[in-house]
Amino acid sequence: MGAFVTLATYNTPATLDGDDTLLKDTSRAPARATALNQFLAGIELKAYRIAQASLRHEDDALDAVQDAMLQLARAYSQRPEAEWKPLFYRILENRIRDVQRRRTVRGRVMALLPFRRGDDDGEEIDPVAQAPSNEPSPVANLEMGEAMQALDAALTTLPLRQRQAFMLRTLEGMDVAQTAQAMNCSEGSVKTHYFRALHALRQRLGEFAP
Amino acid sequence: MNTDKDAMLAGKARELLLEDIGHIDARVRSRLNQSRQAAVAAIGAPVRSWLKWTLLPATGAVCAAALVMVFMLHPAPGPATKPLDTPNALDVLDLVTDDDALGLVEGGDQSFYEWAAAQSDAGGAAGGGA
Repeated sequence: MGAFVTLATYNTPATLDGDDTLLKDTSRAPARATALNQFLAGIELKAYRIAQASLRHEDDALDAVQDAMLQLARAYSQRPEAEWKPLFYRILENRIRDVQRRRTVRGRVMALLPFRRGDDDGEEIDPVAQAPSNEPSPVANLEMGEAMQALDAALTTLPLRQRQAFMLRTLEGMDVAQTAQAMNCSEGSVKTHYFRALHALRQRLGEFAP
Repeated sequence: MNTDKDAMLAGKARELLLEDIGHIDARVRSRLNQSRQAAVAAIGAPVRSWLKWTLLPATGAVCAAALVMVFMLHPAPGPATKPLDTPNALDVLDLVTDDDALGLVEGGDQSFYEWAAAQSDAGGAAGGGA
Protein backbone atom coordinates (compact mmCIF):
# COMPACT_ATOMS: atom_id res chain seq x y z
CA MET A 1 0.00 0.00 0.00
CA GLY A 2 2.85 2.29 0.89
CA ALA A 3 4.45 1.57 -2.44
CA PHE A 4 1.33 2.77 -4.27
CA VAL A 5 1.30 6.04 -2.36
CA THR A 6 4.97 6.61 -3.05
CA LEU A 7 4.61 5.89 -6.74
CA ALA A 8 1.58 8.17 -7.05
CA THR A 9 3.25 11.08 -5.32
CA TYR A 10 6.39 10.58 -7.39
CA ASN A 11 4.61 10.61 -10.73
CA THR A 12 2.14 13.38 -10.18
CA PRO A 13 4.43 16.43 -9.92
CA ALA A 14 6.42 15.46 -13.01
CA THR A 15 3.28 15.55 -15.10
CA LEU A 16 2.01 18.78 -13.62
CA ASP A 17 5.33 20.60 -13.82
CA GLY A 18 5.22 20.93 -17.55
CA ASP A 19 6.60 17.56 -18.65
CA ASP A 20 3.52 17.04 -20.75
CA THR A 21 5.10 15.16 -23.64
CA LEU A 22 3.37 12.01 -22.58
CA LEU A 23 0.04 13.76 -22.31
CA LYS A 24 0.45 15.32 -25.73
CA ASP A 25 1.38 11.99 -27.28
CA THR A 26 -1.54 10.17 -25.75
CA SER A 27 -3.95 12.92 -26.73
CA ARG A 28 -2.53 12.99 -30.25
CA ALA A 29 -2.58 9.22 -30.70
CA PRO A 30 -6.27 8.88 -31.64
CA ALA A 31 -5.95 11.76 -34.10
CA ARG A 32 -2.87 10.12 -35.60
CA ALA A 33 -4.70 6.83 -35.87
CA THR A 34 -7.65 8.47 -37.57
CA ALA A 35 -5.42 10.34 -39.98
CA LEU A 36 -3.44 7.22 -40.83
CA ASN A 37 -6.62 5.24 -41.29
CA GLN A 38 -7.96 7.83 -43.72
CA PHE A 39 -4.66 8.01 -45.57
CA LEU A 40 -4.40 4.23 -45.96
CA ALA A 41 -8.05 3.93 -46.96
CA GLY A 42 -7.42 6.46 -49.69
CA ILE A 43 -4.47 4.70 -51.24
CA GLU A 44 -4.94 1.01 -50.50
CA LEU A 45 -6.70 0.08 -53.74
CA LYS A 46 -4.24 1.99 -55.91
CA ALA A 47 -1.35 0.53 -53.95
CA TYR A 48 -2.73 -2.94 -54.50
CA ARG A 49 -3.13 -2.29 -58.22
CA ILE A 50 0.46 -1.03 -58.44
CA ALA A 51 1.77 -4.08 -56.57
CA GLN A 52 -0.40 -6.34 -58.71
CA ALA A 53 1.02 -4.81 -61.90
CA SER A 54 4.52 -5.73 -60.79
CA LEU A 55 3.95 -9.05 -59.04
CA ARG A 56 1.13 -10.49 -61.15
CA HIS A 57 -0.09 -12.46 -58.15
CA GLU A 58 -3.01 -11.51 -55.94
CA ASP A 59 -1.78 -12.83 -52.59
CA ASP A 60 1.77 -11.60 -53.11
CA ALA A 61 0.44 -8.15 -53.92
CA LEU A 62 -1.79 -8.17 -50.84
CA ASP A 63 1.11 -9.26 -48.63
CA ALA A 64 3.33 -6.51 -50.03
CA VAL A 65 0.69 -3.85 -49.36
CA GLN A 66 0.06 -5.20 -45.86
CA ASP A 67 3.79 -5.15 -45.02
CA ALA A 68 4.10 -1.60 -46.33
CA MET A 69 1.13 -0.47 -44.22
CA LEU A 70 2.52 -2.05 -41.06
CA GLN A 71 5.98 -0.64 -41.63
CA LEU A 72 4.60 2.84 -42.22
CA ALA A 73 2.48 2.67 -39.06
CA ARG A 74 5.27 1.33 -36.87
CA ALA A 75 8.18 3.39 -38.06
CA TYR A 76 6.87 6.54 -39.73
CA SER A 77 3.44 7.33 -38.31
CA GLN A 78 4.93 10.18 -36.24
CA ARG A 79 6.31 11.85 -39.35
CA PRO A 80 4.36 14.71 -40.97
CA GLU A 81 1.39 13.47 -42.95
CA ALA A 82 2.70 15.05 -46.13
CA GLU A 83 5.59 12.58 -46.07
CA TRP A 84 3.42 9.51 -45.70
CA LYS A 85 2.65 8.94 -49.36
CA PRO A 86 6.22 8.95 -50.70
CA LEU A 87 7.37 6.91 -47.69
CA PHE A 88 4.60 4.38 -48.15
CA TYR A 89 5.37 3.88 -51.82
CA ARG A 90 9.08 3.59 -51.14
CA ILE A 91 8.38 0.84 -48.62
CA LEU A 92 6.03 -0.83 -51.06
CA GLU A 93 8.65 -0.71 -53.79
CA ASN A 94 11.13 -2.41 -51.46
CA ARG A 95 8.59 -5.10 -50.62
CA ILE A 96 7.89 -5.72 -54.30
CA ARG A 97 11.60 -6.14 -54.93
CA ASP A 98 11.91 -8.50 -51.97
CA VAL A 99 9.14 -10.70 -53.34
CA GLN A 100 10.72 -10.72 -56.78
CA ARG A 101 14.12 -11.64 -55.32
CA ARG A 102 12.55 -14.42 -53.26
CA ARG A 103 10.87 -15.77 -56.36
CA THR A 104 14.16 -15.80 -58.24
CA VAL A 105 15.98 -17.59 -55.42
CA ARG A 106 13.12 -20.04 -54.91
CA GLY A 107 13.08 -20.81 -58.61
CA ARG A 108 16.80 -21.55 -58.62
CA VAL A 109 16.63 -23.71 -55.51
CA MET A 110 13.62 -25.64 -56.76
CA ALA A 111 15.37 -26.25 -60.06
CA LEU A 112 18.27 -27.82 -58.14
CA LEU A 113 16.14 -30.13 -56.02
CA PRO A 114 16.09 -33.62 -57.52
CA PHE A 115 12.54 -34.50 -56.48
CA ARG A 116 11.23 -31.38 -58.19
CA ARG A 117 12.73 -32.31 -61.53
CA GLY A 118 10.12 -34.83 -62.50
CA ASP A 119 6.96 -36.46 -61.30
CA ASP A 120 6.20 -40.12 -60.97
CA ASP A 121 5.72 -40.54 -64.68
CA GLY A 122 9.18 -39.22 -65.32
CA GLU A 123 7.89 -36.08 -66.96
CA GLU A 124 9.76 -32.90 -66.20
CA ILE A 125 7.90 -30.08 -64.46
CA ASP A 126 7.96 -26.91 -66.48
CA PRO A 127 9.00 -24.05 -64.13
CA VAL A 128 7.31 -21.55 -66.41
CA ALA A 129 4.03 -23.41 -66.08
CA GLN A 130 4.44 -23.44 -62.30
CA ALA A 131 4.93 -19.68 -62.11
CA PRO A 132 1.96 -17.44 -61.37
CA SER A 133 0.06 -16.88 -64.55
CA ASN A 134 0.30 -13.54 -66.25
CA GLU A 135 -2.99 -14.11 -67.94
CA PRO A 136 -6.08 -12.71 -66.26
CA SER A 137 -8.73 -15.19 -65.21
CA PRO A 138 -11.74 -15.72 -67.50
CA VAL A 139 -13.91 -13.71 -65.14
CA ALA A 140 -11.40 -10.91 -65.17
CA ASN A 141 -11.30 -11.12 -68.93
CA LEU A 142 -15.00 -10.48 -69.06
CA GLU A 143 -14.70 -7.57 -66.70
CA MET A 144 -11.78 -5.93 -68.41
CA GLY A 145 -12.23 -4.37 -71.74
CA GLU A 146 -9.86 -5.04 -74.57
CA ALA A 147 -8.11 -1.75 -73.99
CA MET A 148 -7.47 -2.56 -70.37
CA GLN A 149 -6.16 -5.98 -71.33
CA ALA A 150 -3.82 -4.39 -73.81
CA LEU A 151 -2.65 -1.86 -71.23
CA ASP A 152 -2.17 -4.57 -68.64
CA ALA A 153 -0.12 -6.68 -71.03
CA ALA A 154 1.94 -3.66 -72.06
CA LEU A 155 2.60 -2.73 -68.43
CA THR A 156 3.90 -6.23 -67.81
CA THR A 157 6.60 -5.77 -70.40
CA LEU A 158 7.95 -2.58 -68.87
CA PRO A 159 11.05 -2.65 -66.67
CA LEU A 160 10.25 -2.27 -62.97
CA ARG A 161 11.47 1.30 -62.59
CA GLN A 162 9.63 2.51 -65.68
CA ARG A 163 6.46 0.82 -64.53
CA GLN A 164 6.76 2.38 -61.08
CA ALA A 165 7.36 5.84 -62.46
CA PHE A 166 4.39 5.45 -64.78
CA MET A 167 2.03 4.07 -62.12
CA LEU A 168 2.97 6.60 -59.46
CA ARG A 169 2.69 9.54 -61.84
CA THR A 170 -0.37 8.37 -63.72
CA LEU A 171 -2.47 6.38 -61.29
CA GLU A 172 -1.44 7.88 -57.98
CA GLY A 173 -1.09 11.36 -59.42
CA MET A 174 2.17 12.12 -57.67
CA ASP A 175 4.32 14.95 -58.96
CA VAL A 176 7.92 14.49 -60.07
CA ALA A 177 9.39 15.44 -56.68
CA GLN A 178 7.15 13.05 -54.75
CA THR A 179 7.80 10.27 -57.23
CA ALA A 180 11.54 10.82 -56.93
CA GLN A 181 11.23 10.60 -53.16
CA ALA A 182 9.19 7.42 -53.41
CA MET A 183 11.57 5.82 -55.89
CA ASN A 184 14.65 7.02 -54.05
CA CYS A 185 16.18 8.57 -57.13
CA SER A 186 16.64 12.00 -58.70
CA GLU A 187 13.88 13.94 -60.38
CA GLY A 188 15.77 13.65 -63.65
CA SER A 189 15.67 9.87 -63.39
CA VAL A 190 11.93 9.98 -62.79
CA LYS A 191 11.43 12.07 -65.91
CA THR A 192 13.56 9.68 -67.94
CA HIS A 193 11.77 6.57 -66.64
CA TYR A 194 8.37 8.15 -67.21
CA PHE A 195 9.24 9.32 -70.72
CA ARG A 196 10.54 5.89 -71.72
CA ALA A 197 7.53 4.18 -70.18
CA LEU A 198 5.12 6.35 -72.16
CA HIS A 199 6.90 5.69 -75.42
CA ALA A 200 7.18 1.97 -74.81
CA LEU A 201 3.49 1.82 -73.96
CA ARG A 202 2.57 3.78 -77.06
CA GLN A 203 4.45 1.31 -79.22
CA ARG A 204 2.95 -1.73 -77.53
CA LEU A 205 -0.59 -0.46 -77.29
CA GLY A 206 -0.75 0.10 -81.02
CA GLU A 207 -4.31 0.87 -82.05
CA PHE A 208 -5.41 1.38 -78.44
CA ALA A 209 -3.05 4.29 -77.94
CA PRO A 210 -4.75 7.68 -78.43
CA MET B 1 2.43 17.89 -80.02
CA ASN B 2 4.26 14.95 -78.59
CA THR B 3 3.57 16.23 -75.09
CA ASP B 4 -0.12 16.43 -75.89
CA LYS B 5 -0.08 12.85 -77.12
CA ASP B 6 1.76 11.77 -74.00
CA ALA B 7 -0.75 13.56 -71.82
CA MET B 8 -3.61 11.91 -73.69
CA LEU B 9 -2.03 8.50 -73.31
CA ALA B 10 -1.46 9.06 -69.60
CA GLY B 11 -5.03 10.29 -69.18
CA LYS B 12 -6.47 7.30 -71.02
CA ALA B 13 -4.31 4.91 -69.00
CA ARG B 14 -5.39 6.52 -65.74
CA GLU B 15 -9.03 6.22 -66.78
CA LEU B 16 -8.60 2.52 -67.56
CA LEU B 17 -6.69 1.80 -64.38
CA LEU B 18 -9.26 3.56 -62.20
CA GLU B 19 -12.00 1.61 -63.92
CA ASP B 20 -10.08 -1.58 -63.28
CA ILE B 21 -9.72 -0.66 -59.61
CA GLY B 22 -13.49 -0.41 -59.47
CA HIS B 23 -13.65 -4.09 -60.39
CA ILE B 24 -11.44 -5.30 -57.54
CA ASP B 25 -13.39 -8.04 -55.81
CA ALA B 26 -14.71 -8.13 -52.26
CA ARG B 27 -12.14 -10.62 -51.00
CA VAL B 28 -9.25 -8.32 -51.88
CA ARG B 29 -11.06 -5.30 -50.44
CA SER B 30 -11.71 -7.20 -47.24
CA ARG B 31 -8.08 -8.19 -46.87
CA LEU B 32 -6.94 -4.65 -47.53
CA ASN B 33 -9.34 -3.44 -44.88
CA GLN B 34 -7.97 -5.97 -42.38
CA SER B 35 -4.42 -4.95 -43.20
CA ARG B 36 -5.28 -1.30 -42.65
CA GLN B 37 -6.88 -2.01 -39.28
CA ALA B 38 -3.83 -4.01 -38.22
CA ALA B 39 -1.54 -1.18 -39.31
CA VAL B 40 -3.52 1.44 -37.41
CA ALA B 41 -3.46 -0.76 -34.31
CA ALA B 42 0.31 -1.08 -34.66
CA ILE B 43 1.04 2.67 -34.61
CA GLY B 44 4.24 3.31 -32.75
CA ALA B 45 4.76 -0.34 -31.92
CA PRO B 46 8.42 -1.28 -31.75
CA VAL B 47 9.63 -2.76 -34.97
CA ARG B 48 10.04 -6.46 -34.35
CA SER B 49 11.51 -6.07 -30.89
CA TRP B 50 10.32 -9.60 -30.10
CA LEU B 51 12.39 -10.83 -33.00
CA LYS B 52 15.50 -9.14 -31.63
CA TRP B 53 15.13 -10.76 -28.20
CA THR B 54 14.26 -14.10 -29.69
CA LEU B 55 17.18 -14.16 -32.04
CA LEU B 56 19.80 -12.87 -29.61
CA PRO B 57 20.34 -16.08 -27.58
CA ALA B 58 20.11 -18.21 -30.68
CA THR B 59 22.72 -16.10 -32.45
CA GLY B 60 25.02 -16.31 -29.43
CA ALA B 61 24.68 -20.08 -29.30
CA VAL B 62 25.46 -20.42 -32.97
CA CYS B 63 28.55 -18.20 -32.65
CA ALA B 64 29.79 -20.20 -29.65
CA ALA B 65 29.29 -23.48 -31.50
CA ALA B 66 31.15 -22.08 -34.50
CA LEU B 67 34.07 -21.02 -32.31
CA VAL B 68 34.27 -24.46 -30.70
CA MET B 69 34.27 -26.06 -34.12
CA VAL B 70 37.07 -23.78 -35.29
CA PHE B 71 39.20 -24.63 -32.26
CA MET B 72 38.52 -28.32 -32.68
CA LEU B 73 39.40 -28.35 -36.35
CA HIS B 74 42.42 -26.07 -36.03
CA PRO B 75 43.93 -26.58 -32.56
CA ALA B 76 46.46 -24.03 -31.40
CA PRO B 77 50.07 -25.26 -31.71
CA GLY B 78 51.44 -26.56 -28.38
CA PRO B 79 54.92 -25.86 -26.93
CA ALA B 80 57.77 -26.93 -29.15
CA THR B 81 58.62 -30.56 -28.42
CA LYS B 82 62.10 -31.09 -27.04
CA PRO B 83 64.14 -33.62 -29.03
CA LEU B 84 64.77 -36.77 -27.09
CA ASP B 85 68.29 -37.53 -25.88
CA THR B 86 67.98 -41.13 -26.86
CA PRO B 87 70.23 -41.98 -29.79
CA ASN B 88 68.79 -42.44 -33.17
CA ALA B 89 68.31 -46.07 -34.12
CA LEU B 90 70.39 -45.58 -37.23
CA ASP B 91 73.28 -44.19 -35.18
CA VAL B 92 73.13 -47.21 -32.88
CA LEU B 93 73.11 -49.54 -35.83
CA ASP B 94 76.03 -47.69 -37.36
CA LEU B 95 78.03 -48.00 -34.16
CA VAL B 96 77.31 -51.70 -33.85
CA THR B 97 78.21 -52.52 -37.40
CA ASP B 98 81.25 -50.24 -37.62
CA ASP B 99 84.41 -52.36 -37.63
CA ASP B 100 86.61 -49.64 -36.17
CA ALA B 101 84.24 -49.03 -33.31
CA LEU B 102 84.05 -52.71 -32.54
CA GLY B 103 87.83 -52.91 -32.63
CA LEU B 104 88.05 -50.13 -30.13
CA VAL B 105 85.56 -51.84 -27.86
CA GLU B 106 87.27 -55.20 -28.15
CA GLY B 107 90.77 -53.80 -27.66
CA GLY B 108 91.90 -54.48 -31.23
CA ASP B 109 94.00 -51.28 -31.11
CA GLN B 110 95.75 -52.19 -27.91
CA SER B 111 99.16 -51.80 -29.55
CA PHE B 112 98.34 -48.25 -30.51
CA TYR B 113 97.52 -47.29 -26.93
CA GLU B 114 100.71 -48.97 -25.71
CA TRP B 115 102.76 -47.06 -28.27
CA ALA B 116 101.04 -43.79 -27.38
CA ALA B 117 101.70 -44.35 -23.70
CA ALA B 118 105.37 -45.19 -24.43
CA GLN B 119 105.74 -42.02 -26.46
CA SER B 120 104.32 -40.05 -23.60
CA ASP B 121 106.68 -41.65 -21.11
CA ALA B 122 109.64 -41.15 -23.39
CA GLY B 123 108.78 -37.52 -23.91
CA GLY B 124 108.41 -36.99 -20.19
CA ALA B 125 111.79 -38.64 -19.46
CA ALA B 126 113.55 -36.63 -22.13
CA GLY B 127 112.02 -33.47 -20.87
CA GLY B 128 112.92 -34.26 -17.29
CA GLY B 129 116.59 -35.09 -18.29
CA ALA B 130 117.03 -31.80 -20.07
